[in-house]
Amino acid sequence: MTGFAATGLVKRFRRGVETVTALAGVDLAVAGGEFVALVGPSGSGKSTLLALLCGWETPDAGSLQVGAGTDPGGQGWTELAVVPQALGLVADLSLADNVLLPARLRGGRSDRPGDPAPLAERLMADFGLAHLADRYPHQASLGEQQRAAVARALVLRPALLLADEPTAHQDRGHADRLLDALRDAASDGTAVLLATHDEVAWSRADRVVSMRDGLLVEGAPR
Amino acid sequence: MRLLPPWSRAPLLGLRQPAAVVAVLVTTAILACAVASAPLFLSSARSAALQQQLAPQCAEAAWPAVTASADAPVGDAAQEVAGAPVAAWAAVGRTAEPSLTVGSTANASGNVQQGVPVTAADGARLSQPATLLWRPDALAHVEVVDEVAGTGVWLPASYAQAAGATAGGTVDVGGTPTPVVGVYTDLFDTVPGAYWCDDEPYFTNASSADTPPPALVLTTDATTLVDLAVAARGSLSAPASVPVDGSTLPTSRATELDELTTAALDAPPLRGSGATRDPRLAEAADRAQVLEGGLRGPVIPVAVAGGLLALVLVAAAGSFWADRRATEVRLLAARGVGPVPLAGKAALELALPALVGAAVGWAASRLLIGALGPAPELDPAAAAAAVGAGVAAFVGGLGAAAVVAGLRARGTVERPLGAAPRWPAQVPWEVALLLAAGACWLLLEGRDAVVSQGGVAQVNGLLVAFPLLAVAGAAVLAARLLTALLPRLRRWAGRRRPPLFLAVNRWTAARAATATLLVAIALPVAVLGYTATLTASSRATLDAKVGVQLGAGAYAATATRVDPDAITGPDGTTVLRFSDATLTGSADRTPVQVLGIDPTTFAGTATWVDSFAGSPLEDLVGRLTRDSAVVPVVASGVPAGSYELRLGSVPVDVEVVGTADVLPGRRTADPVVLVDRSRLPEVPPSAGSDQSVERWTDGDVAAAGAQLRDAGAVRVTGTEPADVQRAANFLGVTWTFGYLSALAVFSGVIGAAGLLLYLEARSRARVSGYVMARRLGLSRAAHLRSLVLELGGVAVAGVVVGGLLAVGAVAAVYRRLDVDLVRPPTPLLDVPWPAVAGTAVATLAVAVVAALYAQHAADRADPATVLREDA
Repeated sequence: MTGFAATGLVKRFRRGVETVTALAGVDLAVAGGEFVALVGPSGSGKSTLLALLCGWETPDAGSLQVGAGTDPGGQGWTELAVVPQALGLVADLSLADNVLLPARLRGGRSDRPGDPAPLAERLMADFGLAHLADRYPHQASLGEQQRAAVARALVLRPALLLADEPTAHQDRGHADRLLDALRDAASDGTAVLLATHDEVAWSRADRVVSMRDGLLVEGAPR
Repeated sequence: MRLLPPWSRAPLLGLRQPAAVVAVLVTTAILACAVASAPLFLSSARSAALQQQLAPQCAEAAWPAVTASADAPVGDAAQEVAGAPVAAWAAVGRTAEPSLTVGSTANASGNVQQGVPVTAADGARLSQPATLLWRPDALAHVEVVDEVAGTGVWLPASYAQAAGATAGGTVDVGGTPTPVVGVYTDLFDTVPGAYWCDDEPYFTNASSADTPPPALVLTTDATTLVDLAVAARGSLSAPASVPVDGSTLPTSRATELDELTTAALDAPPLRGSGATRDPRLAEAADRAQVLEGGLRGPVIPVAVAGGLLALVLVAAAGSFWADRRATEVRLLAARGVGPVPLAGKAALELALPALVGAAVGWAASRLLIGALGPAPELDPAAAAAAVGAGVAAFVGGLGAAAVVAGLRARGTVERPLGAAPRWPAQVPWEVALLLAAGACWLLLEGRDAVVSQGGVAQVNGLLVAFPLLAVAGAAVLAARLLTALLPRLRRWAGRRRPPLFLAVNRWTAARAATATLLVAIALPVAVLGYTATLTASSRATLDAKVGVQLGAGAYAATATRVDPDAITGPDGTTVLRFSDATLTGSADRTPVQVLGIDPTTFAGTATWVDSFAGSPLEDLVGRLTRDSAVVPVVASGVPAGSYELRLGSVPVDVEVVGTADVLPGRRTADPVVLVDRSRLPEVPPSAGSDQSVERWTDGDVAAAGAQLRDAGAVRVTGTEPADVQRAANFLGVTWTFGYLSALAVFSGVIGAAGLLLYLEARSRARVSGYVMARRLGLSRAAHLRSLVLELGGVAVAGVVVGGLLAVGAVAAVYRRLDVDLVRPPTPLLDVPWPAVAGTAVATLAVAVVAALYAQHAADRADPATVLREDA
């Protein structure tokens, strides 16, 4: 199986003298080709779970299998791509360069067969970014930046894609295009975990899991 | 919850942004330091000029003094004259040191004669008259040969011997039989010490080695001297002075003392008496004023330039505040809050750090000028002016920061995304600086770059303003042109490895910041290169001029006719100098300075710079020893050929076998002739050519003087570089460039502060990008390389641009910077390569350290936190 499998994940934070349990034993597995929507109210632990899956945080307990390994931090962009809440676009690069940055850092060149450049161009066109290719992130709207971040996540056709609220700043039309692209990626074998409040996204997902108070349950919240 | 009013809440809100607080505090401090240093530096220079003029003089030169005098006073009038100066000082509240002298007398027919006639006990009148002197502690400052108790006179030993007098005997002083109560060693046979400095003319005779001055006869008390003056119909002089320490005297105090002297002269005991003042202090103060006036020309523009640079930095700090408070100011701006209220908010938030910064800057300028300035003593008026400058820096700096913060805050929401820069950003304002520099140059064409006023060399302010304006304008223009090439460079870098790709994209994405940083580096480098080179060049030129005047590092001279070849010593060379010499060729007779030298030792000691002649000095001097029928000479200022040299009335046929533009030992504008003195005939005193024997040395001038005395010289004077420079007074020039060098260092501080601001302003975007790029596959080493390339590249470009600008500025200016047009040589160029290399290395080191700092800051970032924040 590609994708990931988390078992009994626990994460606690110190907040002053108080210890907050963000994840209280989460079990979740997403297989390759599966599109899973992770839902739940703010503060329920969605972003913490994604941070653990990305390798930006380490769990206090539990085990994690991402692809063939147990260390998500060591995964390349082809194995694990992320759309963080803060987007993380490189401010000094144009939107086009941001989208292609994973390929550049991997050593990709536009004149090689199988190069991601055509895909990047198509994604930017699909996401309505073609005319903004040379703009810097600060010269684009937040929604446009968000679409660029999703395009960047998709450009190397990753095995696992984690996205934190990727449609939060989109109008319905652009949100649907993003969801279409994520759906297509899943169809191509990518395991997609989408943290979202967008109820339309729930309907496009293969499965919906809900978080509440650091625990995960199957199905949408009622 | 009770809300605080904005004027109390805003300063506290401001403190929540420590980076912005530090930025405003530091930049305001730099601004305050720049503007406050000018009045303090001028005051310091004025004090130092005063002190340095007083230093070579006797301590009494700094003492306010009044002198009452009377020719042949009688009865009580003499006592009144003697006591009046002290009483006058007492009337203005000062205790003065009195002194009484009788330097001349009137004979029976009323003619004035030098000194007081003295007759020995046997009735024979001594050929040498006496000067009578009384000072309260004089007898405590002589070496006693013999003494008895009582009142009377003390004779110098040689005089007592001539008079056949001993302590306990009697001599007739001006017609009055007077007890000799003591005999002391002649002061010229001792090291008399500072006490006798001002009275030295009474016991030495600098103008002639042969005629002794009147003997210095001391009286035991004032009454004895006054009685003798009355009896001898002597000219009684009664000075009284108030001791002050001239080595720590600021000019304001000198002015006060001068006013006090005027008050003493106007006090009842002296009013209308014709009493005079000692002019030396007032003259030194006037000369210091002239020097300070000359410094104003260059220093004020430099201070203004530094202030404007610093103001730009403060404004950048205001922009930085707007970035740091972006969330709040965007919200306010979006709700319709205009730039003026936003600027007001910025002013309220930044007032406290700006105030502290201004105070720190003022204190720093006070400390720096006190520690590094020409003199630590500052006039109160200058300190007050510096406080005013600090207040102006606070108001101006806060205003600039607030205005820029307001405009930037408002601009972030008013401008559509992706809009082109506004037109003011595209206008090449720097051309105005270049035009101003051109205007300065044109004005300078018709004026002297260095002028001498009252013997004080002064640098024309235009000579400072021109290169500064040109360098500033050209630096900005170069930065604009270079950054205009960045889009092309970016396309090229698109095919390069990630570190170069990222570095070039950072430059391109923040073109204005890149250009600003480039200017912030190029400008200090250019100013430092320019000032360091001109300082070194003018120093080398001054040294060469002084060396030419002295002939060597220093020299001792005597008018006593001693055999030059009898003077020996481990180092140095002996020169026989002839005045009243002429050189006659086919045309007119030309006055010349003739130096009879020893060819074997001359070249090893004499000052020489290769540009003085086409041949080395050794070669030129070697030609003097050629076998020839006529005497070979080397000359400057006359062409090669045969001449008749006349040393007074003694003719010598000579041939100029070598020429130089400049020869060492040139003291006047007349040509210099070097000749092997062993080839010269005997020139007797009756020939009418004054001779002096000089011992040139690169070592201790006192040792050279001792060598002359060993050879039999009586009166020996020593002359060192400081004596020449003091006479010509180049302090204004050296201090001007000292101040410029300080400006260069100051500019470097501005550059470093600018670099930190640049890094801090971009740190959030940089860290966020770095964290994500790491996830995308960027290695830490590659990121660090990109930072080194980014900052190091700008540093290299800044050093290159700054270096080129410095070369241009130096080339345009240095030939005009002749600090002394009268004395050769013309300006020399001396590039301080260690300083230049040090500047380049330091700049690159700062860039690398800054890159490491930025990498460290990025490494510390917590990805989960950074990437969870709102985009």
